[in-house]
Amino acid sequence: MALLIIFGIILMSILLSLLVKKRSEPLGWISNMASIIELMATLFVFNQVFKNGVYKLNSYFSVDYFGIIIMLIVAVIGLATSWYSSGYLKIEMARGFIGYRRVKQFFILLHLFILAMFFAIATTNPILMWISVEATTLSTAFLISFYGKPSAIEAAWKYLIINSLGLLIGFLGTLLFFHPAIGNLPNELLTWGWMTANVSKFDPSITKLAFIFVLVGYGTKVGLVPMHTWLPDAHSKAPVPISSLLSGVLLNIAFLAVLRFKVITDLVVGATYSQRLLIFFGLISILVPSFIIFTQKNYKRILAYSSVEHMGVVALGFGFGGVGVFAAILHMLYHSLAKSILFLSSGNIFLKYGSTKIKNVSGVLKILPGTGILFFVGFLAITGIPPFGIFLTEFSIMAAGIKTYFWIVVVAVLALVLIFVGFFRHLVSMMFGDPDREISLGEVNKNALASIILLAVILLILSIYLPNNLKSIITLASMPY
Amino acid sequence: MIFTLLQVIFFLEALIFLTTVFMNLVHMNTSLISLYRTQSFVICTFIFASLIVAPSGLLAIVGILIFGVKVIVTPYFFTKLINTYHTKSTSSTYLNVPTTLLVITGLTSLAHSHYFQSLTTLVKENPDGLLLSLATIFISIFLLINRKGVLSQMIGILSLENAIVSFAFLSGLEASPNIQIGLIFDLLVWIIIVYIFAGMIHEKFGTLDSTVMNNLKEE
Repeated sequence: MALLIIFGIILMSILLSLLVKKRSEPLGWISNMASIIELMATLFVFNQVFKNGVYKLNSYFSVDYFGIIIMLIVAVIGLATSWYSSGYLKIEMARGFIGYRRVKQFFILLHLFILAMFFAIATTNPILMWISVEATTLSTAFLISFYGKPSAIEAAWKYLIINSLGLLIGFLGTLLFFHPAIGNLPNELLTWGWMTANVSKFDPSITKLAFIFVLVGYGTKVGLVPMHTWLPDAHSKAPVPISSLLSGVLLNIAFLAVLRFKVITDLVVGATYSQRLLIFFGLISILVPSFIIFTQKNYKRILAYSSVEHMGVVALGFGFGGVGVFAAILHMLYHSLAKSILFLSSGNIFLKYGSTKIKNVSGVLKILPGTGILFFVGFLAITGIPPFGIFLTEFSIMAAGIKTYFWIVVVAVLALVLIFVGFFRHLVSMMFGDPDREISLGEVNKNALASIILLAVILLILSIYLPNNLKSIITLASMPY
Repeated sequence: MIFTLLQVIFFLEALIFLTTVFMNLVHMNTSLISLYRTQSFVICTFIFASLIVAPSGLLAIVGILIFGVKVIVTPYFFTKLINTYHTKSTSSTYLNVPTTLLVITGLTSLAHSHYFQSLTTLVKENPDGLLLSLATIFISIFLLINRKGVLSQMIGILSLENAIVSFAFLSGLEASPNIQIGLIFDLLVWIIIVYIFAGMIHEKFGTLDSTVMNNLKEE
């Protein structure tokens, strides 16, 4: 029932948004109300999963331990984003950058995007999951080109084409995973459960090929190097609330798809095969951004490359196995919160300075003290400075791999240090000093600040104290890996 | 009888392969669309052929939907795009024709190499057809990479989708009709979105040549 409420409330908010005429405020209220209900329903599902191990709507929709963690991330970041968007778009409208029609389009596409993400998590059928992930691409393409600038359209086109290509490769891999059913395809839809129950019928060589296609395909959406090229452009050109969802949430969903197939692959050919592939992609996904971040000129692109790096860290965690898996799942959670704080704060900076170029931004702590502090907090969290949880998760992931993959861990740690230095260098030039032109003091909007504070508080609490039920769910979610 | 049916299927697969090869060589956008239409028509033939073997109402609906979307609607959209923006002539490539042919040969050889031999166990009666469809997948990806035009990139994606559908058909891995309806709906939405994007690109850049899109390099 709770899943139906989630799907229903999103569809209803789309319909209501379509009915709204001329005023933009109701669009924000509808979105906020829907997000609150989605979060409440998700918490109910969380409770059910904690009690029963799974929340089942029917054979084709259920939420397991891993699913509920990602679902919780969607609901929390979705609420913060929705709340932030109301304030953010109001200012953009007041400045005349966008009109009412654009705001309406934004909220409708936002609801569709969130619906596709919930659907992808809850479905038990791999092809329905593929359709949902593809739907996220389609719903966000217009959001990336939201401002209608040539660079935004270019970024959206690149996003559309590269992701479509990647997902088609992922689709081929998905089809190959159905090979045990050739000749006796059952009438009902094939599910993850069917695959697990039929692992003995899988051909190891075909499974290996299929997993490579899936990893490359969905890996494109995850932003793993070298399939990442669309990500910095799309994440930096989209309006910040969307960048926050793309970086903080969508990457995890694509990763979830890879991991669902990893379970099957591991059962057929053993864990080493997929682990080595994940270590390879994980390491290069940390290495490449470590050099690029240093020379970046645009602060939103730094955040985007940081997402590539963190997906690399997560891949390493799953590649190393053991305690690394628990840490990788927790890392997904912390990364989503920290990255959303950073993207939403960067939105406030953009609204104030009117530029995403680092050279045009200085003295943020003086001009926007609240946002400046939050951006700084986000930086500390994302680069793994204690007491923030990412320190613990990165440490645990590296510890999990140091015995077997010593040199890989050494290279990864050096790359992480390089990223810290590169990011810190840009941060100092943005936070301190005086602006090169006259800029009024004070925050841009209360809503635009409050939602970031909410995320920062959640991140800080979860970094210091991880509730037992969440800890158990993460432990149980990490078991199959 | 079975021998003849297999020959027909192989012939159709070879036709899909050839259309993809020619897509890499032609210079006119209109030719590109005709080749896509032919390729899609062959895909529909596959579906209607399977209807003869195992009649199913739902599969017939799927066949009609696929025919409608791929053979009628998509070429219509693309032709409209060409007429609206006067882009009948070339969609140029990064590599010249001899090099393109060399790459296509290489990709076809790769599909037939030992790396992918395990796939032939999927369909013991027609392994060559299956490997040819795999080569078509690779060549479609190459088409997407090698072509500079926005329209060619769109057709590259659609050709890849056709190649995967033919691979699924030959290997017996095609999704259930319910799912296929979902997939064709997804494809239709995709086509509408890229069509709108092509319009936006032309409006902002004055052309459908993707090489002029270099605003992101300055970032």
